[in-house]
Amino acid sequence: MAASAADIRSALSLPEGSASAGPSQPKKAHTNTRKPDGISRELYSLIGPSAPSLAAQLAKPRLKQKPNFGGTVPRTKWEIRTFKNPARQDGLELKHWERSSDDPAAEYRFAKYNIQPTNYTYSQDEYTRFLDDNEWTKEETDYLFSVVQDFDSRWYIIYDRYAYPNGLTRSLEDLKDRYYSVCRKLVRNRPWAGDEAGRAQLLSSFQFDKDREITRKKYILSLENRTPDQIAEEEALYVEVKRLEHNERKFKKDRENLLRILAGIDSGLPDVVEDDGGPLGVLADGVGMSAGGAGSSRKKTTKKGTQAAADVETPSTPSVAGTPAIKRPNPVKNAAYDAQHCIVRVETPATGAATKAAHQPAYLRSYKLPTPKAAIAPKITQALAELGISLTRLVMPTRETTALLETLLENTTILIETKRQVDKVDYDIQVLKNRLASRDQSQPADGGEATKTEGRNGMEINGASTAAEAEGEDGRAQSVMSARSARSRKHPRRSVSVSSVDTTSTRAGPKRQKRG
Amino acid sequence: MVNYGGDEVSALVIDIGTSSLRAGYAGDDAPKAIIPTAYGYHPALPDNDVTMSDHVEGSPSDKPKYRNIYIGQSGPSVWREGMEIANPVVEGLIQDFHPIKPLIDHALTKVMRVNSSEHPVLVTEPTWNTTANRERMAEIMFEEFNVPAFYIANTGVLNAFAAGKGTALVVDIGQSMASVTPVVDGFVLRKGLSYSPLPKLIHAHARHLLVSPTSHRRGIELFPHQLIASKSPVDVNALPNYQLRQNRIAGTTNSWRNWAENREVDEWLQTVAGVLEPGWNDQLVAQRPPRQYEFPTGYNTYFGRERYEVGEQYFYHSPQLIVRIYFSGILLICLIKHICMEASNANLPKNIMALIGDALRTCDIELRQVLAGNIVLTGGGSQFTGVADRLASEITRTFPHGKIHAPGNPIERRYGGWLGGSILASLGTFHQLWISREEWQEHGKAIVAQRCK
Repeated sequence: MAASAADIRSALSLPEGSASAGPSQPKKAHTNTRKPDGISRELYSLIGPSAPSLAAQLAKPRLKQKPNFGGTVPRTKWEIRTFKNPARQDGLELKHWERSSDDPAAEYRFAKYNIQPTNYTYSQDEYTRFLDDNEWTKEETDYLFSVVQDFDSRWYIIYDRYAYPNGLTRSLEDLKDRYYSVCRKLVRNRPWAGDEAGRAQLLSSFQFDKDREITRKKYILSLENRTPDQIAEEEALYVEVKRLEHNERKFKKDRENLLRILAGIDSGLPDVVEDDGGPLGVLADGVGMSAGGAGSSRKKTTKKGTQAAADVETPSTPSVAGTPAIKRPNPVKNAAYDAQHCIVRVETPATGAATKAAHQPAYLRSYKLPTPKAAIAPKITQALAELGISLTRLVMPTRETTALLETLLENTTILIETKRQVDKVDYDIQVLKNRLASRDQSQPADGGEATKTEGRNGMEINGASTAAEAEGEDGRAQSVMSARSARSRKHPRRSVSVSSVDTTSTRAGPKRQKRG
Repeated sequence: MVNYGGDEVSALVIDIGTSSLRAGYAGDDAPKAIIPTAYGYHPALPDNDVTMSDHVEGSPSDKPKYRNIYIGQSGPSVWREGMEIANPVVEGLIQDFHPIKPLIDHALTKVMRVNSSEHPVLVTEPTWNTTANRERMAEIMFEEFNVPAFYIANTGVLNAFAAGKGTALVVDIGQSMASVTPVVDGFVLRKGLSYSPLPKLIHAHARHLLVSPTSHRRGIELFPHQLIASKSPVDVNALPNYQLRQNRIAGTTNSWRNWAENREVDEWLQTVAGVLEPGWNDQLVAQRPPRQYEFPTGYNTYFGRERYEVGEQYFYHSPQLIVRIYFSGILLICLIKHICMEASNANLPKNIMALIGDALRTCDIELRQVLAGNIVLTGGGSQFTGVADRLASEITRTFPHGKIHAPGNPIERRYGGWLGGSILASLGTFHQLWISREEWQEHGKAIVAQRCK
């Protein structure tokens, strides 16, 4: 039968082993593939193994999986064991549960927390030699030490439990003072095995200032005893001080910003010191003052600023002015130091107040090379050219060369000036000669006297006019020049500029500043 | 295990208070056995030939006053003919040690079912305990319970430990005593301790308030359930309709009656009475709704102002009130009344704020801030409605930086001392402090004071 069916199949060219096998066929599908979970047998027989995605979705609902504590590690066994505490002197044995894997002979793990502080003891001999005190007997000192040991230097409790029979009533500070002083004396007088630093450290740990402690406690007490009104007032004052400080800081910041804008970023501003002194500093002056606090702090700042400005003004150092916080070495030390390091200090103008205008920041020397005045610059150049000197920038403007250049320019200026005066005088002589000649021609004999006076008058009147300008200039320039050269050589150009009539300090001021 | 420093050696913790005796395993968070400290007894006959209960092994010269003793949940609360009630604890101290052994024995063997000779025992004591008392307690534990190790710890310290603090100002309001104990680094500052029988005053006031007639009601009868045969519901403020157990009246002792009535008063206090949280304020009192309460007789009424007047005594005593309590029922002419008022004021128990103030004042100035910032409120009496809030507001008024730690869990509040003991006795580092039997035998009583500082 099977063979005939196969024959029919082949004759009809049907595919071999299709799902449409007749009931008489053995169920090959079931034997070949297993029915997946979560799908009913009837459904599987209908759809066959060709719906894996569907089958996967139809997973059979399961109970929540049991948590697996500890993984595959075998369960820890615990057993009750007796143990001895090495911190105990007696043989008390208590029982507790332990892992059976733990070493039964191991030391009790809490014994290590039993730490005894070092206790000082002293002999009778030591007591009589170092520790004798009028207020304390040896018995009471012994008692104190035993109490301190009992309560591990917990002083509040020591004070609470301290009850020496028939003894004086001792304050907490008395007890501490006695204990620490005895310890100090013992440490100081006993031979010390370690180094001195260790000993000093130990001594410092026993340091106790009784009076200071008492004062401190009094202070706390007075704090405690403030009335609510006082507390409120204090709060208000504190807020006020804070506000003032804030204002001050803001003001300073604004001023600094302004100065930066006006004077450039690299103007050192040493007198503007950010005062970050905390409120405690102000409060330490006294809580009562409110405006005074800010005032005093400002005064301090300005004072500091002046000092710093004086220190900083050293143009020979080509660095930006250091912060005023850095202390400069004192002048005495400077002399040797400067000589060694070729530092030349320049006298600072002794101005009363360190104003911004008087401040001179650091600069490069090449910026300060003397240049001839614009009005006579061509003449100077010409004169120098005649002498065979090129007036270009110095290759290396050292202090000496700069000074030389300065003298050169000054001298040239003087030379030119002198030449001009000579020219003028020559011209005047020429004019006068001409006039004399013309007068001789027109009025040979009679108006000699009158003309003289007239001429004098004319000259005086013309003092302000163009003709006589040269004469007035002449006399003054001379005198100013002589005064200038005596005063300083630092302002060569002024000697030129001052040749005009008005040479008052008011004009000199801005000029100098412009130069700076 | 090492992380929290615990090492449980199955120690037992026993905390004896005025209202109840608590016992349990160290390391637990609540006691296993809680039995009333008061016990019922039939008095010993004056005739010495009568055999005594074999619980008692007191010295022959100092015989217990009882013939039979009734302890536990069905001890004093069960009516028995001729049964007296007594409490070994007076003002926090154990005054009568005879019933202590049966009490502890009942808690350990009847309730917890443990063998005391196998467990170290930690017992608590109030701060004002006497040396003789603690030595006696050690003696009882070692000699009669055969404990392997013993320790006696201070409830103030334990309450601080239960709150997780080593330094605290413990305000403990119990059933009979209110105490304020400064604790520093796990030690009590004894000079700073202050305590007063304030809860008793509250109780007396409440009782007076209930039993004395007022303009709108008659005095309330405080018959306990045990004496009432039947009752029927009545309207509010109506006369109660009840029948007494006439057969029991004759056999009821005064002490039992008193004890049972006090329980009714306590019940009333715990249910109805309260403290105004922001402080006394007539308007606020008028706003609070009155609360209904029914007594065992069936009588029920509303309590408005009265319930706050009672609680106010915790914080403020009005002199007139005191006179009324102490001298009620006695007719006094004005002059005598005045004198008595002066006298009574001197003896008046201090209120809570006065206790706290006293305690802080005796402490070092540096400690005050620390302590005021760590106030631990504990004890069953502190669960009086509103006490914690009121105390917090009073504290912040007096000490601006004061802070109160009041556990919300009633178990922690009521059994704070026990809980601290449970913590302490389960610490690994504590086990070196036990007084062992060996040490007890070697050093005797002196070891107690030496070890338990």
